[in-house]
Amino acid sequence: MADFNVNLREKDSVSVIDVKGFLDAHTAPELENVFNKLIDTNQFKVVVNFNELNYISSAGLGVFMAYIETMRENNGDIKFSNMKENVYNIFDLLGFPLLYEFFKNEDDAINKFLESGKF
Amino acid sequence: MSSYQNNAALRNFSALVDFGNLINSSLDLEFTLNNILLTCFGKFHTTKGIIALINEENVFVIKASKGVSKNVLNDFPLITTINYDINDRFSEYLTKNNFQVYQEIKASEGLKGLILLGKKITNQDYDKEDINFLKTIVNVGATAIENSLIVDKLKKINRELDSKVNQLSSLFDLSKEFSGLLKTEQIAKLLVYSLIGQLLISKYSIIISERNQLNILESSFEKENILKILNNIEIENINSVISIKTCEENLIKELLSIGIELIVPMQIKNKTKGLIVLGKRRNNTDYTNSDIEFISSLGSLAIISIENARLFNETIEKQKLEKDLETARNIQKNLLPQKIPITNNFEIAAYNKSAKMVGGDYYDIIKLSEDKILFAIADVSGKGVPASLLMANIQAFLKTICKMNLPLAEATNLLNDLVAENTSNGSFITFFWGILDDKTKTLTYVNAGHNPPLLVRNNEIIKLKKGGMILGVVQTIVPYLSETLQLNNDDLIILFTDGITEAMNKNWEEFGDERLDKLTLENSTLSANQFLELLKVKIDEFTSGAEQSDDITTLIIKVKK
Repeated sequence: MADFNVNLREKDSVSVIDVKGFLDAHTAPELENVFNKLIDTNQFKVVVNFNELNYISSAGLGVFMAYIETMRENNGDIKFSNMKENVYNIFDLLGFPLLYEFFKNEDDAINKFLESGKF
Repeated sequence: MSSYQNNAALRNFSALVDFGNLINSSLDLEFTLNNILLTCFGKFHTTKGIIALINEENVFVIKASKGVSKNVLNDFPLITTINYDINDRFSEYLTKNNFQVYQEIKASEGLKGLILLGKKITNQDYDKEDINFLKTIVNVGATAIENSLIVDKLKKINRELDSKVNQLSSLFDLSKEFSGLLKTEQIAKLLVYSLIGQLLISKYSIIISERNQLNILESSFEKENILKILNNIEIENINSVISIKTCEENLIKELLSIGIELIVPMQIKNKTKGLIVLGKRRNNTDYTNSDIEFISSLGSLAIISIENARLFNETIEKQKLEKDLETARNIQKNLLPQKIPITNNFEIAAYNKSAKMVGGDYYDIIKLSEDKILFAIADVSGKGVPASLLMANIQAFLKTICKMNLPLAEATNLLNDLVAENTSNGSFITFFWGILDDKTKTLTYVNAGHNPPLLVRNNEIIKLKKGGMILGVVQTIVPYLSETLQLNNDDLIILFTDGITEAMNKNWEEFGDERLDKLTLENSTLSANQFLELLKVKIDEFTSGAEQSDDITTLIIKVKK
């Protein structure tokens, strides 16, 4: 089975999820658990760092769709960073850039949260 | 003068070459259009211009503009390639906004668009030479525009292809994933994630029909709303996709009232077993045919997996039930007497075989005292587990009543009351019991609606009928009667349930009372065990090949010499 790893950490009061390996139908529930945990603890500002993610399937994409509404309803968001080109292409192909913000690196994404927090 | 003209022509020519090189170096439409406008501005000293290209419906749409306010852009009239030049609104628009000239952009495939230019800063009119030059620019530009458009189209087609490839590979992945799942909830969840991820869907419902009931597996719509709408529609009758683009108006209103845009049936062998209900896409685009095909394929994969999961779980349940029945059968076997008491004057043989795993026939032989043996045979109405439960009940009652040392008829009254109290669904029991006295060689019996046992004496059959009605129908009103018979040496008593007389052969013929009577008369000299073996053989011979339809129980009592 393909390897997948998910890790949750906090940086400047933004939750950063590191995803690693293959995110597909099989491994999607692991990511789901992390999002459920965030919602349970009222953490709605999320950056997903894709630095070590090699593959994403539509079921994996579905997880982000499933939680975006809750995050935004609570003044938060899911932002993406450090995406490899092949992974970004899939997001792009399915039209995600219209709905989500993509950043070159994690800090840019976090700063976006911090900036908007000032207003 | 002529040298001035030559110079001007040369300048024009070199500008054109530059321009041609520039715009043909790029395949970007915006770049091309921008440069056409800028070149015109430079040449004609004008400050505003619009380029409108035709779309697929041959309507002119503004694709580039400079120096034109938003209002003026928005004001652009709806014109098509047909007769636009004599359209009043178009000429009005030109005059009102000071567009002094316009020129058709024509490429090899025909009219592509229009360029509109404002008046010159110098307030001079465009002369003939200007118009010729504009025509030349536009001609050179048209090829570049056409190329850009083709590239754009190719890009679009490529993207569509990529998207299709992506959908196919998703389907392929999911077919593998689905087949590995055996829980309906997991399958539904995977289906949802794949759909919303692939198509950017915000609202969804996955519904399956199980035993004519709708079961909403996953939903981000209000379940009540979904059910309200689906209650008006027979889910089995939804054999094709329902889209708000194609369905009838009443339904559209109803669907849109809760945000449904698309309903895709999930089918197995062309039978609709479930529905995928979807709201609008987050990127505000419509569902294309290709999207619907994808949803449909995904739905088929999912519903087959759900069906497999159901069958798998059913098999597991069935195996569990069979194991339970096996246990029940063992318990029931233990309820029947394990050992037949030995007496001085009687030889007793007994046999029981259930048609199903557990049955409703019952017999018992209990030693009441040194001299007295009680025996009983019963047939509980119905078969299977309910019958066997009632049978276990009556055995418990019987064991209790035995200890009370009541006369048999009175004991039967009590037994009937107990059974009547404890059965509710119209179950009943045909019952016969008797007490053999080893000392006096007498038989006292009560027959409560059971097939009369046969007492064979001197080649004659006496049927033991004395008693009353079957047990369990009503509380005892008319008391049961008992009869006491003096038994003779060599008397043979055959007790049986209707499983014997109604045993069927392949031609749906019953073994019957007559055949039993005859067999009994012809073999009355046999011992109890010998007769039992013979009876078993005869029944087997008779029914050979047919399935046993009812429990078979028999008790044979022989009075020893």
